[in-house]
Amino acid sequence: MSRSNVIVLDNGTGYTKMGFAGNSDPSFVFPTAIATRTTSAGDTSSRRPAAPSAGGTSSSSLASKRGIEDLDFFIGDEAYANAKAYQVDQPIKHGLIENWDHMERFWEQCIFKYLRAEPEDHYFMLTEPPLNPPENRENTAEIMFESFNIKGLYIAVQAVLALAASWSSSKVTDRTLTGTVIDSGDGVTHVIPVAEGYVIGSAIKHIPIAGRDITYFVQQLLRERGEAANIPPEDSRRVAERIKEDYSYVCQDIVREFRRYDEDPYKYFERFEGEHTVTGRKYTVDVGYERFLAPEIFFNPEIASSDFLTPLPEVVDGVIQQSPIDVRRGLYKNIVLSGGSTMFQHFGQRLKKDLRAIVDQRLAASETASGSHMRSSGLEVNVISHKMQRYAVWYGGSLLGSLPDFYSYCYNKQDYEEHGPSIVRKFSVFGGV
Amino acid sequence: MILLESENIIIRDVLTDKFARPSSVDQTFTDFDGVAYHIESTKQGPITLSMDIRCWSDLAKTGALDIIKREYGDWVRPETEPDYSITLEFDYAKVPPLGAERDALIQSCSLLKRNAMAAPFERAFSLQKELEAEVEGKATAPAGATDIMPIHYRDDEAIYVIPAADRVTVVFSTIFKEETDRIIGKVFLQEFVDARRQPSIQNAPQVLYTNREPPLEIRSVPGLKRGEDVGYVTFVLFPRHFQHPEVMARSISHIQLFIDYLHYHIKCSKAYLHSRMRHRVAEFLKVLNRAKPEQAEKERKTASGRTFRRA
Repeated sequence: MSRSNVIVLDNGTGYTKMGFAGNSDPSFVFPTAIATRTTSAGDTSSRRPAAPSAGGTSSSSLASKRGIEDLDFFIGDEAYANAKAYQVDQPIKHGLIENWDHMERFWEQCIFKYLRAEPEDHYFMLTEPPLNPPENRENTAEIMFESFNIKGLYIAVQAVLALAASWSSSKVTDRTLTGTVIDSGDGVTHVIPVAEGYVIGSAIKHIPIAGRDITYFVQQLLRERGEAANIPPEDSRRVAERIKEDYSYVCQDIVREFRRYDEDPYKYFERFEGEHTVTGRKYTVDVGYERFLAPEIFFNPEIASSDFLTPLPEVVDGVIQQSPIDVRRGLYKNIVLSGGSTMFQHFGQRLKKDLRAIVDQRLAASETASGSHMRSSGLEVNVISHKMQRYAVWYGGSLLGSLPDFYSYCYNKQDYEEHGPSIVRKFSVFGGV
Repeated sequence: MILLESENIIIRDVLTDKFARPSSVDQTFTDFDGVAYHIESTKQGPITLSMDIRCWSDLAKTGALDIIKREYGDWVRPETEPDYSITLEFDYAKVPPLGAERDALIQSCSLLKRNAMAAPFERAFSLQKELEAEVEGKATAPAGATDIMPIHYRDDEAIYVIPAADRVTVVFSTIFKEETDRIIGKVFLQEFVDARRQPSIQNAPQVLYTNREPPLEIRSVPGLKRGEDVGYVTFVLFPRHFQHPEVMARSISHIQLFIDYLHYHIKCSKAYLHSRMRHRVAEFLKVLNRAKPEQAEKERKTASGRTFRRA
């Protein structure tokens, strides 16, 4: 079998994206969650011994387990559907795998139930967050090679895959692996500089504003405007999510946008129609300023948060300024968006405009500081948005996995047995020009 | 999840989505036993679903095409996509409206592989009936009815289906590439044979497991492998397992996924062993941590003889 035997598995904190390389969309996207019966072996064993374990009883019951309890679990959406009788656990926290027992079983069902693939016949491309400890990689490789006997393994850094995904944009002319990745999912936003396929670890910045915060902010705005009275409380979160996803966009000038709305509210106010999940009663919500205010918290965080006040463009500029001087030009030139919370309309334009302003200001300042003797040749700032943004990491994996030379960069079972798990500490970067 | 399901979830999801909202799609994906699928469509349709299965020539000999025609009727496209064995084609306009009928169509499409693989079993079951009739002197079975039907569904593993007058014998050859797998697999299969002795599952088909030597039923097949890593699992199906159509459908679904089921459970066993090992290590670490000698706070002196305490 030569075709499509590369499986791309992107296990994120919130969602797992998986599918076959060469496709444009992942075959499955579901929550990285596993529902197991009672407190199982996984809970006590993966915790550090010092932690108070719920432990004495569950460990003794573990030894007495002789049945098929270890097969009794659900993953993904099914895990939440069975949340009443089972205990739901999220094996990945902050991008890192915390509970290996659960993760191993999670993969079991991923491969056999959902992808219906024989691991023996397939190459796997897994993803990892930047700054993943090498021990985690080794553990992953141990499970993949020893439990599943997979044919070959490649572990890629998510940010690099996001860069690769941007090659699908028509604006990108050269397939470079240098650039700044802004990855904003549900929990946290990362700004990651990548040079020639290698992450500049010291310059990475995290921003505690992401999808979930936007949803909360929309909820708060609705409440303040008195709109929330129409919404059944249990639907409030869902409605806010829908408004965020379907109606919001990034404006270029917040004052002008306010004026436009006030002059002609009927033109800009939208109406959201919902239905009560239980009673089926219909209700409507006016969607107003939150359309452009919601994503605005990236650019003016003070409107929503009181402890994090640096706007995204400033963070991006700071990250690039902290990177080695010889790659900064490349980093400004290729700013790539990835993740669901970067999907707002005009997000890229606004970021570019604000960043441009910061950069120009600095250039002008240094010109005056040099007594107008030095003229800057200018600096290119470019933010790339593309269609595959939502699952950019997975798509990048699919793209690289379908390259013919992918196989030569994988480690196969023989390599693993020859060198041991430490072999996966190094993967060569490929695909760039 | 103890049993693997026969349906392919990706086919189900994609078709459900595309029938509801026609749009362009181009996806390739796989199923067990090296089966590859390709779903392709433009916005206007038609949407095509192609399947490539390694043992298609074996299956075609046992009448797989008839079964496919029976199951999918007009949806089967006469000319198959290059490199694929079967192609189904759906015109968006002709797809039945939302409801039970459409669900049934999607469900049967997701069972495409199962239906193709069902051919030799169905043929064997019907041959068994004819053979039984011949023994009773009512009719004559066609010549060669008791021939072994080999299905080379993997590179070096095969299923042999042998109809007889009172039974249908199904033999799987298995090869384990890995030492650990072989041992766990052996224990697992032995357990399979033993489990049948329990009174509650007396109706289950008889299971035999032989290592190295192929069972007598298939000795005549040329080119059988003999070696340490080869095992043969024999299921003996009696008429009660396939007389009722529903039971027959279930028997077929289960038996063709047997090897995958075996592989899945070997992996699960290993995962279970690993979780026990991790647990054990954590316990040992606890013991080790407790065994650390306590560092008594010693008085330290500087060169000048003054004492100090470390913060």
